Amino acid sequence: MDVIQLENVTKIYKIGEVETRALNGITMSVAEGEFMALVGPSGSGKTTALQMMGCLDKPNHGIVKLDGQDVTQLNANQRADLRREVIGFIFQFFALVPVLDAYENVELPLLLNGVPPKERKERVMEMLEAVDLLDRIHHRPDQMSGGQQQRVAIARALAPNPRVVLADEPTANLDTANGNQILEIMQRLNETTGTAFVFATHDPRVMSYVQRVEKMQDGKLVVNGDVPVK
Amino acid sequence: MAIKAFWTIAYRDLIRNRRRSLLTLVAVGLGMVVVLFMSGLLSGMISNSLADSIHLRTGHLQLRAESYEIEKMSLLSKDLISDSDQLAAKATALSEVQSATPVLWTNGILSTVRESLGLQVTGIDPTAAFYAPIRDGMVAGSYLNPDSRNEILLGQRLANEMKISVGDRVSLTIGNADGEPQEAIFTVAGLFATGMPGYDQSTIFIPLSRLQAITGVGNRASSVIIMLHNRDDVAKVVNALQTPGIKSLTWEDLNSALLEVAKTGASFYYLIYIIVILVVAVLIANTLLMSVFERTREIGILTALGMKGRQIMLMFLLEASALAWAGIAVGVMFGYAVVAYIAKVGIPIGDDTAALAGQTFALRSKMYTEFDPGQAVILSLLMFGIVAFVSLYPAWFAARLEPVEALHTLN
Repeated sequence: MDVIQLENVTKIYKIGEVETRALNGITMSVAEGEFMALVGPSGSGKTTALQMMGCLDKPNHGIVKLDGQDVTQLNANQRADLRREVIGFIFQFFALVPVLDAYENVELPLLLNGVPPKERKERVMEMLEAVDLLDRIHHRPDQMSGGQQQRVAIARALAPNPRVVLADEPTANLDTANGNQILEIMQRLNETTGTAFVFATHDPRVMSYVQRVEKMQDGKLVVNGDVPVK
Repeated sequence: MAIKAFWTIAYRDLIRNRRRSLLTLVAVGLGMVVVLFMSGLLSGMISNSLADSIHLRTGHLQLRAESYEIEKMSLLSKDLISDSDQLAAKATALSEVQSATPVLWTNGILSTVRESLGLQVTGIDPTAAFYAPIRDGMVAGSYLNPDSRNEILLGQRLANEMKISVGDRVSLTIGNADGEPQEAIFTVAGLFATGMPGYDQSTIFIPLSRLQAITGVGNRASSVIIMLHNRDDVAKVVNALQTPGIKSLTWEDLNSALLEVAKTGASFYYLIYIIVILVVAVLIANTLLMSVFERTREIGILTALGMKGRQIMLMFLLEASALAWAGIAVGVMFGYAVVAYIAKVGIPIGDDTAALAGQTFALRSKMYTEFDPGQAVILSLLMFGIVAFVSLYPAWFAARLEPVEALHTLN
């Protein structure tokens, strides 16, 4: 079953008088447990595609489905609920809450979901162990390296047991060793938890880890080197 | 459960930006000090004026003939109390009553070789407990001798203005019950200073019996002044002393002008409090707005994690609340210290200023503050309420940030 479906999705941004088609009628899906990447140059629309999949924004045209549910008709609060329960996010700049330590950052989505304290603690410790950060649980982001912060971000993204994790350039700010380590952790977690992972990236290292690569250019999916004609 | 996380993020963010938080806290604290000081000044002024008025002029309760009007100071029999001694004795017998004494008022002209002055003449029983403040406030000469017929007491300020000293002989011209002027010569027995220049420059005392004799009113009196152990018992005593032809005037009736000024003053002061607090609140709102702009990325993260707009709003309101309450606590502490200090040392306003105000109100040469805990609570809640209200905008602004716009700063 597909976790995510984009059907003829178009997104237009208007800056002043200028209209930009960030997505131009793309159709694609993400299967359960899939480990895939959206690749393309800057401005190709991969981040926008991720934002559509993550219910962070609504398309101007087309339908976005999450677990079979059309999310384009949902209001902001309903989309927030869906994000909390179904989707995990990993960002390029780690995006941890700076005043919370590693434990608290991972705990936050569970608190928002109303998970009881005992279960919450167990889950947080389980995730921090999975990313090998049990010795840093009371460290704040400014007390951790980039690689460690990204591991906390991974733990946080997976803590609420999402159906899919959307990772936007997760290795962009990491050196080779840390980048590889992060990818290995995510691959392992994909295999052990069955959570789908979708990367938006232009890091060639990512492409060597994923099962499927979709190329994007000018807001459209590229098929066999050609932009498909609609 | 999530509220704990919001609170954690809120107060830790305040600690993260120590300088900004401290400056804002100081602003709130200063605002509280200002409003508490103003409130303390008004409370002290009214409270002290009322207490002085009760203890020197009005007492807690006065019994007068139904037809007596203080402005006219009539000496007609029908306007005076005929059995004032018995009425005073009846009052004194009540357990709530501390003292009761008859008093006779009339207008007179005090004259020396140099000048003359029209003022109110008060005939008193020198042994009455009510005049203990006068007895204790003697600054020259001696207090009235109860057996004396020709002694007069003057306020020191009045004596200074008319260049009268202890032992001097002065003429007092008083209209009698038939309206005929009667002149009598008195010797200045002593000078008193109550600390209220207005009172001291407008008050003279002679023995009640002497004034009754001069005016030809017999044993009648204008009023019986009653002091209670506790002024809250006034209604009970009024009931107990109900007498046909006699009206009771409570301390509230007798100080209505002062109480009216207090009420108007309080309303006016509240307007000033609100202005002061609004200025402080706008400062907090500005600080909060700066925090929102600086934390746009963080708001984007929280939104991406599934935090709803109202939860983000709550988080920022918690931050504003924490700043407000911390500032209020500091402000109340320092405000109390300032009020307590001035309650002890006073602010000099000068004899002349006090004398001007003191024709109608008992005002001392120094103003003393008084800390009113009830007012402190009201002002604290007012400060918090206005700060919370003004903080709604930045909190709402944060809640309305589009996640994509906020997250845009991440890429």
